[in-house]
Amino acid sequence: MTRWLRCLALACAWMPSAALPAEEPLVVVPDTKQVDIRMDFAGKEVQAIGSMNGPADVIIKVAAPQQEATLSREIKIGPFWIGGDKVKVAGAPSLLFLVANRPIDSILAPAEREKHGLLLEGVPVHVEPALQAQAADEWRKAFFRLKEKEGYYREDDRAVQVFGNRLFIAHMSLPGDLQTGTYTIETLLVKSGKVVGRDVAQFRVRLAGVERWMWNAAHDQPWAFGTVFTLAVMLLGLGLNAIPLRRHAEPRA
Amino acid sequence: MELFLPIAHMDVNIVLILLYGGLVGFLSGLVGVGGGFLITPLLIFTGIPPIVAVSSGAAQMAGTASGASHLHWRYGNIDLKMGAVLLAGSWLGGGFGVYLAKVLVRTGQFSNMVVFLYVVLLGVIGVSMLIESLRAIVRGGAGAAAASDGATAPSSPLRAWVARLPWQTSFPASGVRMSAAVPLALGAFVGVMTSLMGVGGGFIMVPMMIYLLKMPTRIVVGTSLFQLLFTTAAVSIMQAGVNHSVDPVLVVLLILGSVFGTKLGAQLGVRLPAEKLRLILALVVVAVAVKMVVTLVVPPNEIYDMTIEVR
Repeated sequence: MTRWLRCLALACAWMPSAALPAEEPLVVVPDTKQVDIRMDFAGKEVQAIGSMNGPADVIIKVAAPQQEATLSREIKIGPFWIGGDKVKVAGAPSLLFLVANRPIDSILAPAEREKHGLLLEGVPVHVEPALQAQAADEWRKAFFRLKEKEGYYREDDRAVQVFGNRLFIAHMSLPGDLQTGTYTIETLLVKSGKVVGRDVAQFRVRLAGVERWMWNAAHDQPWAFGTVFTLAVMLLGLGLNAIPLRRHAEPRA
Repeated sequence: MELFLPIAHMDVNIVLILLYGGLVGFLSGLVGVGGGFLITPLLIFTGIPPIVAVSSGAAQMAGTASGASHLHWRYGNIDLKMGAVLLAGSWLGGGFGVYLAKVLVRTGQFSNMVVFLYVVLLGVIGVSMLIESLRAIVRGGAGAAAASDGATAPSSPLRAWVARLPWQTSFPASGVRMSAAVPLALGAFVGVMTSLMGVGGGFIMVPMMIYLLKMPTRIVVGTSLFQLLFTTAAVSIMQAGVNHSVDPVLVVLLILGSVFGTKLGAQLGVRLPAEKLRLILALVVVAVAVKMVVTLVVPPNEIYDMTIEVR
């Protein structure tokens, strides 16, 4: 907390020069610049603290790097449900959170939300192979539905707390299965249904420690890794079996 | 208790994975199957990407089978000569199967083919074994078991034809004499199935060795594990080399669970009569087949499914 406040104080010092002339001053600082994924990683709450001038609403969009996915659809043939067609989807962030201090619909009109990219289903998604508009739209809808169901696309109107019209804190709970790369935190300040201020911050998600070493070994030297690891697990299986064998069981003659 | 998997790129519950390993290890030690037909669907159900599930399952089976093979070798349950012939066949068949899988993937029919292979093979083998083992138990134990365990004189036209094949050789550890082409062909068939279904092939190999090759059940279990060990080890290395999809943390967790399950299974296995071992395997195989049929017939809640590319 102390570190944040120091960062915030530092940020406030150059705030007037950083803000565009037509915009309300706004500074947002995430509590971390880097999220390390280690063996015990099971998700993390990232907080962002910000300052503003006077009463306003705050909307924050957190977007992860883009990710490719394959969507498949089951079809019914006779009494059986079997795998039917499939498409690749690309261009959408792997995670998209919209957080605010109250329901976003009551802060911004739909047209303004669309204009500022504040709709979960407004992300441009490319479907391959190219399909007719209606068919592609069905796949896009399925993509967004699955993302929302799995908790990767989420809207939360209680995640931002505003204190005395000057400070706010946003809480963003990241799941355990995170895409690595650079995440953006785009904060919008809204007054009377209009966006009056904007600030963008970033943090990085990366593998660290043993996890990073294992990932690198598996990708940089895959054949050596596969051979050594397979031999190691065979020895492990042998060793673990030998321990109780000596104490409890004797081989038949 | 959650643990992050570096290659699957997700966190999993440690206790759940240890339990999966324990269950599969128990079956492995008890009846000589690697448990790939169980572990792969279980891991996928947990949310692990299919390619990581298949690859890590192979590595886990290599680890489990090494311990279990050692146990059976010490019990004198492995026919090394038979195992070597089967292995040669399964490597040949496995190579052909990889090519076949590539063609099926290109035509978009791979996943449907896998499901139907599972249902048909597991169903036919499981029900046949279930009927046979129940009959043996009803007939009353030792005599029936001995009759079906040992080598019997060829009585059907198929067995007579098999007896006339070239390369007749004896397999002393199993107490049978037959053409080496028979286990070679069986190994090749299992190898193809291994490539298409992502399993070690024990659930195909075990009944075939019992009913077709007429090997004693005790030797079948050990020899199946021996063959399984080298087949799955080769698959594990190839999957790591080609697809970078073997997750070391997942594999070690599964092995930790499975070695203790294997030990329990192997100890119970040497005490249980052969027909009861076959009944247990039959029940497990039939249960998995029924589960897959139910999955095929019951309308899904969500007809769309999403697979994330491994990150």
